[in-house]
Amino acid sequence: MTESPAPGTTPSPPGLRQLFTGMLMVALSAFGGGLSAWSQRIIVEQRHWMSNEEFLTGLTVARLFPGPNQINMAVYVGTFFRGLPGALAALAGMLLVPFTLLMGVGLLYFQFHTLPALDRVLAGVVAAAAGMALSMGFKILDQYWKDPMALVLAAVTFVLMTFFHVRLVPLVLVAGPLAMAWYWPRPSHPPAPQGERR
Amino acid sequence: MPAVLIAVASAATSCTPMRLNDLGHLLQVMGTFLGLSLFSLGGGNTLLTEYHHLSVEQYCWLRPSQFADIYALAEAAPGPSSMIVGLLGMGAGWPEGPGWALLSAYGAEIAILLPSTLLMVVACLSWNRLRDSPWRVAFERGLGPITLGILFAVGVKILKTADTNAAGVVVSLLVCVLMLRTRISPLWFMAVAGGLGVFGLINR
Repeated sequence: MTESPAPGTTPSPPGLRQLFTGMLMVALSAFGGGLSAWSQRIIVEQRHWMSNEEFLTGLTVARLFPGPNQINMAVYVGTFFRGLPGALAALAGMLLVPFTLLMGVGLLYFQFHTLPALDRVLAGVVAAAAGMALSMGFKILDQYWKDPMALVLAAVTFVLMTFFHVRLVPLVLVAGPLAMAWYWPRPSHPPAPQGERR
Repeated sequence: MPAVLIAVASAATSCTPMRLNDLGHLLQVMGTFLGLSLFSLGGGNTLLTEYHHLSVEQYCWLRPSQFADIYALAEAAPGPSSMIVGLLGMGAGWPEGPGWALLSAYGAEIAILLPSTLLMVVACLSWNRLRDSPWRVAFERGLGPITLGILFAVGVKILKTADTNAAGVVVSLLVCVLMLRTRISPLWFMAVAGGLGVFGLINR
């Protein structure tokens, strides 16, 4: 994937410093959300580093592999041009400002969280955040709706974790290979209904 | 932190704090997150129940309400919400002072990101071979439903940890529906709910 730049990309690929500043721009633009939309705008449309197709491949890889999606995306962009050093430069650019800011917020929180006024605000904010957490599962439920086995797997996983307090690591290590065996591509049989991610 | 307070905290949450020196504590934090990194499926939120277990129930880094606070802060702050690990590390190091708390925060964030980053680099470099491999197909399709189940478990866990009054739970459910049905920025929900907290309508 690194061999031939597609038409529309610049002939000279970005260096480490450009990767750092590019991802810094993405992070700064995305204050308030829409990180992956902003990275597409800046990387594909403004700087022409990648074709749209290359970018979308990156999103696929970033979602597939472990790790936070947006951070994996930065790693993909960095690796695409400069290998591991590029990945680290892109990662640093993406995290520098938000993480520094979060550290400031964190220090203030641990210093002052016992103040009653702050605790009252946080009690409300926490309720909203819990609603956001609750919506995460529903957000991806649609794509599994027509696959009964997927729903069974999801339900068993949920019950084991919520009611039997099974920990994540053993659960994934046991259920993961079983689910992979079930979904192993079988050319002779019609495959189970495709997800909508293709 | 005086021993009495630790005893009280552990009695309340049934976690058992380990008596480690500063450096030992930092290494414990980093080792914990290094081991979890490769299990962050589906964008990293799948690890939240595990974060809760480790930081509240196992190592006494945080009280349950603090965990809920930190989750909300990480969601509200700009940038990837997986930076919550930095805040967990900060909580772990806080009893040793702000300096150690910061060190612990950076250590935790680096530890959670390093293994997945290295794997991602390898994946990018060998994507042409991986793309059509049956392993890739089976991994993507098999782990998807498990991720779905984990995310529902995470939602319930966070809701329980938030532990607000009935009005708070109603707000949580309402926000959940609004998140799915509208494209309103979640920051608005947090701001409004924070206001309800100030007026005492939501409490815990």
